[in-house]
Amino acid sequence: MDFSSPSSGSSSSSQFNADVFKDQLKNQLAQAYAEEFLETLRAKCFDKCITKPGSSLSGSEGSCISRCMDRYVEATGIISRALFSGPPQ
Amino acid sequence: MDPSSLENPELVQFINQEKERAMLNEMVAKLTNVCWDKCITGTPGSKFSSSEQSCLSNCARRYLDMSVIIMKRFQNMH
Repeated sequence: MDFSSPSSGSSSSSQFNADVFKDQLKNQLAQAYAEEFLETLRAKCFDKCITKPGSSLSGSEGSCISRCMDRYVEATGIISRALFSGPPQ
Repeated sequence: MDPSSLENPELVQFINQEKERAMLNEMVAKLTNVCWDKCITGTPGSKFSSSEQSCLSNCARRYLDMSVIIMKRFQNMH
C-alpha cells in the first residue's frame, strides 16, 4: 500500500499523508466487506435456489435468486436492529 | 510509513474506530449467516413472514446469550 501523498509539486512524494491513509483504509475495508458479502450471497442463494442444477438456469431459478438476495439484505438489517437498537428481549 | 504517525492521537482514534466498526460488521455478518440457515427454511419469498422476522431477531439475541454462557463455562473449565 502506498500511503504517500498524491504527488503535489514541491512536497516530497514519500511523505506520509494521514488523509490518504484514512481513505485507503476505508476503501480496502469496504472492498473486503463487499467481497465477503457477495461470497455469502452466492453460497446461500445457490443452496436455496439451485436445488437441482439443470442444463441451463431457468426463469424461476433466476427470480428465486433475486428474491433470495433481497431477503438476505433484509435479514442483515433485521439482525443488526435486533442487536443494536431497541430493548433487549 | 513514518513511525511517528503512530503517536498521532487522531490517527490512533481513527484506527480504533474502524477496528470496532469492522468487528461489529463481522458479528452481524456471522449472525445473519447462522440465523438465515435456522429461520429461513423454505424458498425465499417476496417478503418475510412475521414468524421468519421474529425468528431472525430472536436467533441473533439468543446467540449472544449463548456466547455469554459458553464464555463463563469455558472459564470455569480452567
